[in-house]
Amino acid sequence: MSRSHLRFLLASALAVVALVVAACGGSDNNSSSSSSSSSSSPTKTAGANNNSAAEAPATKGGKLTVLAGTDVDFLDPGHTYYTTGYMIAYSTQRTLYSFKPQDSVKPVPDIADGEPQVSSDKKTITVKIKPGIKFSPPVNREVTSKDIKYAFERFFSVNVGGQYPGYFNMIVGAPKEPTKGVKPISGIETPDNNTIVFHLSEPAAVPFAAALVMPITAPVPEEYASKFDAKSPSTYNTHVVATGPYMVQNDASGNTVGYKPGKSISLVRNPNWDPKTDYRPAWVDSVFMRTNASDGNVASNQVLDGNNMIFEGNPPANIIKEVATKRKDQFVQVPSGGYRYFPINTTIKPFDNINVRRAISAGFDRNAARLARGGKFTADLPTHYLPPDFPGFDEAGGMNGPGFDFLSTKNESGDMALAASYMKKAGYPSGKYTGNETFLMVSANVDPNKAQSEVAKAQFEKLGFKIRLRLVPQDAVYNDWCQVPSKKVAVCGGAGWFKDFADPQSMLEPVFAGYLIPKSGLNNNMAQLRDPKVDAAMKKAALLDGDARLKAWADIDKMITGDAATIPFVWDKTTLIRSKNVNGVANGYYTDWDLSWTSVKQ
Amino acid sequence: MTTGASESLIERENAGLDDAAAAEIAARSPLQLFWSRLRRDKVALVALGVIVLMLLIAIFAPLVVKIVGAPNPNTQNDNLLDDFGSPTGPSSSHWFGVDDRGRDVFSRVVYGSRVSLEAALISTALIVLIGVTAGLTTGYFRGRVDTLLSRVMDLFLAFPVLVLAVGLGVACADGCLGGLIQPGLTVVIFVITLTTWPYMARIVRGQVLSLREREFVEASRSLGASDRRIIFREILPNLVAPIIVYATILIPQNIIYEASLSFLGVGIDPSKPSWGGMISDATSIFQDAWWFMVFPGLALLITVLAFNIVGDGLQDALNPRTSK
Repeated sequence: MSRSHLRFLLASALAVVALVVAACGGSDNNSSSSSSSSSSSPTKTAGANNNSAAEAPATKGGKLTVLAGTDVDFLDPGHTYYTTGYMIAYSTQRTLYSFKPQDSVKPVPDIADGEPQVSSDKKTITVKIKPGIKFSPPVNREVTSKDIKYAFERFFSVNVGGQYPGYFNMIVGAPKEPTKGVKPISGIETPDNNTIVFHLSEPAAVPFAAALVMPITAPVPEEYASKFDAKSPSTYNTHVVATGPYMVQNDASGNTVGYKPGKSISLVRNPNWDPKTDYRPAWVDSVFMRTNASDGNVASNQVLDGNNMIFEGNPPANIIKEVATKRKDQFVQVPSGGYRYFPINTTIKPFDNINVRRAISAGFDRNAARLARGGKFTADLPTHYLPPDFPGFDEAGGMNGPGFDFLSTKNESGDMALAASYMKKAGYPSGKYTGNETFLMVSANVDPNKAQSEVAKAQFEKLGFKIRLRLVPQDAVYNDWCQVPSKKVAVCGGAGWFKDFADPQSMLEPVFAGYLIPKSGLNNNMAQLRDPKVDAAMKKAALLDGDARLKAWADIDKMITGDAATIPFVWDKTTLIRSKNVNGVANGYYTDWDLSWTSVKQ
Repeated sequence: MTTGASESLIERENAGLDDAAAAEIAARSPLQLFWSRLRRDKVALVALGVIVLMLLIAIFAPLVVKIVGAPNPNTQNDNLLDDFGSPTGPSSSHWFGVDDRGRDVFSRVVYGSRVSLEAALISTALIVLIGVTAGLTTGYFRGRVDTLLSRVMDLFLAFPVLVLAVGLGVACADGCLGGLIQPGLTVVIFVITLTTWPYMARIVRGQVLSLREREFVEASRSLGASDRRIIFREILPNLVAPIIVYATILIPQNIIYEASLSFLGVGIDPSKPSWGGMISDATSIFQDAWWFMVFPGLALLITVLAFNIVGDGLQDALNPRTSK
């Protein structure tokens, strides 16, 4: 289901000619890629198909220019946690597991040699790693399992500042608080150079194994990096070495001279990368990324009219309209693997009443909110939370969802009669809210967040709620307002949750588990939902694996949807644009261009 | 500014136009003189008419919108957006087109005049009040009061005004000064007043400094008049003309100021239409929807121009010797 959905999107987006090529692409492609490149490996076909769907067969060589409106957050694989950073990380680093373009559900072994072996008590995971993978200059030696162990250890230090410890702190001996300096972790063993064993303090091997695709698993050579990691903050960020097909251009001592913060990043081929160990084709010879192309309109037009260029991330709305209507062969779309929603604070009366919340959902013109983000071309209307192209999506009912009337595919623009009936159930005989208090809604002061919150305000007002919309700078919305329970924000003017790896637990638990609401500090459960049934089911489902796991989390998805603690309003897609002579390939995992699959027509 | 208030002017007006009138040499009050001069300035009269019209539109905004048959300014109608969320342009049912929420631009421009004029007029009144008080006090009493207040003015004049305004706007977004400043329009008025009063005070102070040395003030003082009497009876009436002129210059300046602040997102309730806010929202989609920026921009332009022309006209009429 999810796959065919994506195909449909691509198909609708691409020219007829391209469809024909795609339909009979397989053989055509294999021959061309093997003739054009010595790096062919059997695993390449999937990505190559994607190439041909857009353009003629890929060729090796050339220089690719990326225009980006923002810099990477970090080059350091232990620190990055942002799309642009991932885009660089996954073409310069190799992680234990990673995703080929087009399949963001099932990871493939990258540095790892085969699937992770999980013990029967789900507390031990053993991963073998491939021999023959080498670090780029100036390290120039083969990667061992100890480099991955060190990558984990440094992640937990204050100096490196790993940003997602929650996925990995169940390793035995993993620090609960960031450490001063890099401290060894007893629960990671390296019996030999090609084996790494993780011991967990709880039976969480399944989500843990799924998380082994994150950049934390990219090896870091201790003897080289320790002197950088001793500083606070670590300066490994500007001395990073690569294992992937590309490296940030550096000098003999490892200084990343190709990285000019806020200006540009130059990637060149990693001379120590052996194509025989990798599934990536790495077509282009070098990548130049401008990270200060802050005028999206200008940059997008440069890309569309120019040569050898791609645009990082979503272009502005008018450009999306242009490519969708006039330049249908110059873009691809990938589901962004997440949902955007308006959290309703369930601790504030009358939003503690489930029927009031269902009434709000029922009457909500979600299509208007979606139009504020670019309309149906850029997003589907959710009927539940697990997004398309994500494990558990089909089990949770696919596009049709679990079938609640207040959040059904038929109710796109808000059903006021249905909303009134829920309000009556909630004890408001007029079908509208009759209280006199004003509720606080907080949103960012820039579009599209501003626009979508204005829509949301109007929707609440339709039902008689008085809303005061407070617009604040983007970085304050969550850290100073929505995620701080003491601020008593009644409605957050838009939040989004996007995948970190392909496991439904990570998509639902942080946002809806009552037991994860912290006593102090930032709270991801912005609706402050504490549903004992949901909490119990989550604790149980966390231990399952295989199909039972997907089924269990799909059921939880349904329970949460029924709680109506938020109004999910888009499952969005990322639109990526490119020059005519670029064979752009997008990676569904980090929903941006995949630099090691994108090629340039000579 | 060389005449005392009690002096009456004798001037020859309309000479040569009419025999009878030409022969007639009449005594007229300053107001009559002012009015006869202003009446000759046709451009200023037209501009005055525009201002009156704008004021009427602002006051009767709901009625205007109703008569035209336009929807409420905050009614969002996503049927008026295309599949990509772009708004549709001017049509017979939506004269000025709609914005990116599907709201009617005409009724938003009409309602926006309320915010603009309200903010500009109230803040100008406050600036006049504070500025004249401070200017009179410092100019008349001089000494320590003058030194202290003048340094405070210098301090305000040295500030990067827009930065201060944005900072204050954010700091007072939840209300400040113990609830005196409420979120919304009052923040904007507060910011405008706070950053503009020293200009008024400076001008008044300068005038007072020269007036207080004049003969009629000396005479009054030698007759034993109190400070209060001198300030209110002798000096203040002579300040009326410059105050009026400067106030009329301040109004359009404050309209622009308010628009700039809303453009920068300070203070104003986002769902309350304001011209500056509309122009700000329109910047991102200007290429697709020119009408969203052009109409509020035109409204702003016309209003500011009208006030400026009237200000010029008033200056000429009140003080013919300065500009001719």
